[in-house]
Amino acid sequence: MNNIIIYSTPTCVYCKMAKEYFKTKGVEFTEHNVAEDDAAREDMLKKSGQMGVPVIDINGTIIVGFNKPEVEAALR
Amino acid sequence: MYELVIIGGGPAAVAAGVYAGRKRIKTALITESFGGQSIVSNEIYNWIGTKAISGLSLAQNLEAHVRDHGAEIIDGEIVTAIAKIDGGPPTGHFLITTKSGKTVETKTIFMATGSRRKRLGIPGEDRLDGRGVVFCSTCDAPLFKGKDIAIVGAGNAALEAAVDSIPYANKIYMLVRGSEMRGDAVTQEKIKSHPKVTILFNTVSQEVLGEKSVTGLRTIEKTTNKATDLAVQGVFVEIGSRPNSDPAKELVSLNQIGEIVVDHKTQASSCSGIWAAGDVSDVLYKQNNISAGDAVKAVLNVYDFLHRNHLFAANK
Repeated sequence: MNNIIIYSTPTCVYCKMAKEYFKTKGVEFTEHNVAEDDAAREDMLKKSGQMGVPVIDINGTIIVGFNKPEVEAALR
Repeated sequence: MYELVIIGGGPAAVAAGVYAGRKRIKTALITESFGGQSIVSNEIYNWIGTKAISGLSLAQNLEAHVRDHGAEIIDGEIVTAIAKIDGGPPTGHFLITTKSGKTVETKTIFMATGSRRKRLGIPGEDRLDGRGVVFCSTCDAPLFKGKDIAIVGAGNAALEAAVDSIPYANKIYMLVRGSEMRGDAVTQEKIKSHPKVTILFNTVSQEVLGEKSVTGLRTIEKTTNKATDLAVQGVFVEIGSRPNSDPAKELVSLNQIGEIVVDHKTQASSCSGIWAAGDVSDVLYKQNNISAGDAVKAVLNVYDFLHRNHLFAANK
């Protein structure tokens, strides 16, 4: 079972691409809208040092941006 | 050996792929991804035949359409070099090399490689990319809630970055190189009168400051040569784009800004066997619909070229 968290904003198309990718793969994920959720934004910053979305946490592997090869490699 | 290789994945490349498929030209399409630059648009209202469509949906439609028309798709690849073999067509051909080292041989090439975002080219920009330096304002504006930011640029993209940021940022500096802003007049008025926005004319950026994340932007006011450090946590880079003509630059004529010069009747470049359309070409108006139409022109002319020079295999 994969534990996937996506930090996203509603206006970010690469976040949408990532989510669609997981949906077509039939993989469940938790989404945090960091435009609204201040605590999640802090979490994202701590995990990645990034001020840019998407940040994807797959089983503890942090991936910045929707980098498909990296995402595929991190999935179990 | 292909009869045509299309390089790119935006509207021009896809239109070419569809027409090439219907003409039974043996075609490969090489692209990093599909959709072109409009992929980041929330809604597109001028793609003809469709009232409104998101950039992402447009990208998916384009990919599905071209995949349905028989071109061999080589995606996830960037073309790094194009070389003439035996003098190039019509007698010879081309050898295309990708970043991963793949090689493809073809009789003709259609360049639909578009353009990419310009970077500032100043210290700190690369190091702090994603740590306060922003290249997708639409994506990342909400992350700068209550923070001070600087937007570099004076065109529509910069204006839109300001519109995206106004609901979130505390204070917005806009750095304008010249003495006036460009871009849509209505949006300009809206931004100029907004209390959060300060426009700095004749001002250029010199260095992005900060250790782990952006803490400031060093600027120079050009008329007085005075340096000022703006205390900002975000630097949004919106200074336009440059054409992706590099792989062909030794073979075709480029204009001053690096666009491929084409014959606007046929989209042929100065190099026999290479055509171009869309943002990489010297077309006056950069529009999805125009890119698609120009690409169709190009492929019909490729078809004529293949026939005229007895290079076309499908009906032999």
